[in-house]
Amino acid sequence: MTTTAATATAPAGTNQTAGAQRIAAAFQRARDDGRIALVPYIVAGYPDADTSLAIAIAAADAGADLLEVGLPYSDPLADGATIQRASQVAIAAGATLERSLQLIERVAAARPNLPLIPMGYANQVIGGGDGEAVAKRLGASGAAGLIVVDLTPDEGAPFEAVARAAGLAVVYLVAPTTSNERRARIASRSGGFLYCVSLVGVTGVRASLPPSLGKLVRAVKAVSPVPVAVGFGVSMPSHVRAIAKAGADGTAVGTALVEALGPDGRDVEALARLVRSLRGATHVD
Amino acid sequence: MSATQARNANAGIVAEIAARRQQDIDALFAAADGIPPAGPADGPPVRDLVGRLSAPGLHLIAEIKRSSPSAGRIAATDDDIVARARAYQAGGAAAISVLCEPHWFGGSVEDLRAVRAAVSIPVLAKEFVVDPRQLEGLRAAGADAVLLLAVLHPGKRALRALVDLALSLGLEPLVEAHDEREVRLALDTDARLIGINNRDLRTLVVDPERAGRLRHLVPDDRLVVAESGVRTVETVARWRAQGFDAALVGEALVRSADPAAAVRAFVRAGGPPHDPANVARRPFAKICGIGDLGSAVAATAAGADGLGLNLVPGTPRFLTLDEAAAIATAVRASAGPSRPAIVAITADATPSALDAIVAALDPDAVQLNGTEPVALVRRVGRPVWKVLHLPKDAPVDVAKAAAPIIETGHAFLTAGVARLLLDTAGGPHPGGTGVRASEALAAAVARELPVTLAGGLTPADVASALRAIPAVGVDVASGVEFPREPGRRPVKDPYLVSLFLKRAAAARDDRPNTPFGPTPVHPGLLDADGAGRWGMERDFGGRYVPETLMAALEQLESAYDALRHDPVFWSELRELLGTFAGRPTPIYRADRLAQAARAEAARLATVAASTNGRQRARSEPVIPTLRLYLKREDLAHTGAHKINNALGQALLTRRLGKTRVIAETGAGQHGVATATACALLDLPCVVYMGAEDIERQGPNVLRMRALGAEVRPVTSGTATLKDAVNEAMRDWVTNVETTHYVLGSAMGPHPYPTIVRDLQRRIGDEAAAQLIAIEGRLPDLALACVGGGSNAIGLLARFIGEPSVRLAVAEAAGDGIETGRHAAAILGGTPGILHGSRSLMLQDRDGQVIEAHSASAGLDYPGIGPQLAALAEGGRIEVAAATDRDAVAAMKATTRTEGILPALETAHAIAALPKLLAGVEGLAGGWPADLLVLVGFSGRGDKDLAALERFADVDAWESAR
Repeated sequence: MTTTAATATAPAGTNQTAGAQRIAAAFQRARDDGRIALVPYIVAGYPDADTSLAIAIAAADAGADLLEVGLPYSDPLADGATIQRASQVAIAAGATLERSLQLIERVAAARPNLPLIPMGYANQVIGGGDGEAVAKRLGASGAAGLIVVDLTPDEGAPFEAVARAAGLAVVYLVAPTTSNERRARIASRSGGFLYCVSLVGVTGVRASLPPSLGKLVRAVKAVSPVPVAVGFGVSMPSHVRAIAKAGADGTAVGTALVEALGPDGRDVEALARLVRSLRGATHVD
Repeated sequence: MSATQARNANAGIVAEIAARRQQDIDALFAAADGIPPAGPADGPPVRDLVGRLSAPGLHLIAEIKRSSPSAGRIAATDDDIVARARAYQAGGAAAISVLCEPHWFGGSVEDLRAVRAAVSIPVLAKEFVVDPRQLEGLRAAGADAVLLLAVLHPGKRALRALVDLALSLGLEPLVEAHDEREVRLALDTDARLIGINNRDLRTLVVDPERAGRLRHLVPDDRLVVAESGVRTVETVARWRAQGFDAALVGEALVRSADPAAAVRAFVRAGGPPHDPANVARRPFAKICGIGDLGSAVAATAAGADGLGLNLVPGTPRFLTLDEAAAIATAVRASAGPSRPAIVAITADATPSALDAIVAALDPDAVQLNGTEPVALVRRVGRPVWKVLHLPKDAPVDVAKAAAPIIETGHAFLTAGVARLLLDTAGGPHPGGTGVRASEALAAAVARELPVTLAGGLTPADVASALRAIPAVGVDVASGVEFPREPGRRPVKDPYLVSLFLKRAAAARDDRPNTPFGPTPVHPGLLDADGAGRWGMERDFGGRYVPETLMAALEQLESAYDALRHDPVFWSELRELLGTFAGRPTPIYRADRLAQAARAEAARLATVAASTNGRQRARSEPVIPTLRLYLKREDLAHTGAHKINNALGQALLTRRLGKTRVIAETGAGQHGVATATACALLDLPCVVYMGAEDIERQGPNVLRMRALGAEVRPVTSGTATLKDAVNEAMRDWVTNVETTHYVLGSAMGPHPYPTIVRDLQRRIGDEAAAQLIAIEGRLPDLALACVGGGSNAIGLLARFIGEPSVRLAVAEAAGDGIETGRHAAAILGGTPGILHGSRSLMLQDRDGQVIEAHSASAGLDYPGIGPQLAALAEGGRIEVAAATDRDAVAAMKATTRTEGILPALETAHAIAALPKLLAGVEGLAGGWPADLLVLVGFSGRGDKDLAALERFADVDAWESAR
């Protein structure tokens, strides 16, 4: 199995992996239900290990179709102030890669149908090597795929090879600044789904999404062989409805959920309420 | 409609003028019964214009005109054109152009005659020549050159005939074109002077970029004159960089109240660069096959570095011993101390024949063109130049073909040859077949050996050859000769000789990224590949950023690819660095500091010996004597090397069409430099700075604000430099469409490490040239402090490909590497991805970045640029560490012994020096006696006076108290 995936004849990208198939199935279930998929994001180990497990389960039960699990990082340069702070709190509370993997294992055991997608930075995953060790551990923990915020297909091929061997989907991102030609290339390499960054900027709550979002989503959908989920800046049901209307297959919500947890990060019920109301907005008219 | 009018039906205003001129001429000749008013015999001796223009640099042809159809009346009605012409000459004009057209320009042949009589430089008749009969009259009036407009002679034959007639009269024709078709027409003639006019004479509209766009159409064996649209000296400087030989300037001078001063300013702007880094890139040039004294005189006058006298029987340029000896004697007698080397050219001569040649010629060198054995080198008794022969046909496998040539070259170098020439082989005359061998093969050899290119070069292609092949010199024979006359020995054309030397000398001017000598190290240590990866395995660098930034990085990459070899950009930057930033910075020989460092090294060696438990040696440890040179970047504007990068990237921002600049800063030096460049170029500037650094570097915060920059405190993470980089990247992600991020170090995503290295490499380029001028050689050791690495790579880049130079960097060890509180990314770090590229960094097992610790804010960074990581991995640099306390001691020692207060960053390099000398850090010892050391003195220490207070208990080295 490992040998086959690693051979030179293996297709580019990671959309044929078991993880990618689990992700695709989750998008398909939502579609069958007349909805776009809701992909909440939580920070592993925030505010502490046990509470973050409770948060993950609450998000799952409140209507998550997939779950992004943020791996706290010391230098999260694509993230706004909220997630930066949450990451720092988690690290200070003892978050490590090992503990994040344990969290993923426990959530996977508790909610086996929920595809889990860790989200982190290149140095956590690849660092000085090719990322094989981390990919293996993630695969073993039950993760379906992985988002590496500062990894593009330009640098991603070696990691795709080890991710394929571990059965993981490597989810790439496209941005409003991505050219048409590049967008198609990235979409063809993305595993499971394609993450469409809604705006030019870092993560964080915005009062409104860019007016050109509909056009962006249509352009991305036109070239993507995999489902497209929109993230960055998504915080309220009206955003989710707009994204559904634009024709996306899913939406990712992060900062708004971290903020819903309150200043101490423990208001699990408030988070569950927000997830439910976002879920209510996922129906496609 | 007259014939002229019909010919130029679509030629607008110029056609009207031409038609009127034809009437004038017809009338003139009718009145004189067809006899020209003055015969050519009446003309004074011709003054040489092409000789002047084929000297290095761009020359000024200053114009006299009273009015013009585009500007109306320009000069006062009582303008004294004779006085004006004299002022032009006094200001340094190479020639004077005089308008002869009366109706639109108010000129006359009388004006020309008067000007010609008043000056001693050549005079160009600016005339609308529509009729061959005009040329004789112009020559008779004293014209040395004449303008011929291609637009008036669209048929090939008419223009050719006019050019030929002018040449036969001794009038140098300047054929003017203004579009591609006219350029082709001009090139189809034998004119040596080609003008490109920014103005379309049909509409009078000026396009200031036109001449620059069309310049590449004219081969380098013509002299090229740019015309019209000059308002400022910057235009002239740009034209020089674009490869023009002259600028024809009119209105800007005529309107000037002080024409001599105005001319002087333009002449100065057109001069070739004379800074040490540019001068060092100029190749050695030899004129070979000198066949007569006239050729020798021409080559000497034009500044050749060597003259070849051919003593190979049976070759076309063969001289008898007597003939050669006569030329050699004459050159020695007539030329000054910087005369060209006299080289006796031989091929497979017997030892006794060589003895006879040496005895007869007393040559400075003997060149061996044949298949001489290595052993012969020691028999010659003079410096030996050896020719290596390339196969005649381009090889299939370049590396395979190069290997034996390189091996032979090394054998000859080892045997002591002074110079290697690289020539095509296999032709009838070894060493001079006139066939250019495969460029790729020549480049492969030149990358490994210091070679002088020979064989088939001409003024037209010598510059492109020198850009494609990192040869140290060029050699030419047939390419600078008059057309061969059967049965006669070839003779050099003085014009082609000086043009060849000019083109060779200018080939690498303002092209700092063009290699100009061998660099026999792994290419991955010298440059990134297409994906921005460095190293023998190409495992450092790359581009790890959020997708949002990829478009901006791709735009930056393609914009910079275009600029990297654009001499206009580098000339503009050089001028700014020279007049605004104080470059070149000096190198200073610090004897007292050297002595103190040597004593400190002896102390360290003694301590090391005793702690190692060895018997204390009876005598003191042997520390080499040294001469220590400091490259004084502290004397650059804003007090550190950072200005080199900031000015370059600010110019780059303009080229990118971006309107806002952001930067990060640690110690504040890069922030101050960027704020300074932005103030100069009127760009809004935001500087991100860690809140903790703002506390430590108060004066620099005030400076940035005074310069109009907004300083944004960064409180996230550790509130230091790395977090400022994160925050700057977040700003860039958000404002990427309008904003350029001026990254301050040779790190970050591709192409930043290359851009910043290229902008900083002039530190080492200058220092190398300065050292060669003073000491006659490169240093044995080049040493710099390293944080992110822009100062280190800037100093060291020049020496990476020089195997004789040991390279060392000093890392900030903070409280000591063993404490874990340090900023030593090489000695205490591991490979990882930080701020967009893979390199060495401080991190824990999970890849979390570990906070760096150093009292020096400029070194307080947990990573290092990818090229330095590659150099460290490849074993090309030695790495030493200096703690905070080591640095303070060195700072105090430097200040007391030399009266120079170094930045705390710089003091790390000084602190490392005695450790390297003592062999307790870096490679242990192995130093030659009489060591020559170059230290990058990256910045001044005013900002660090507080640190001196904080470390009041640390004293200077004992030897410096």
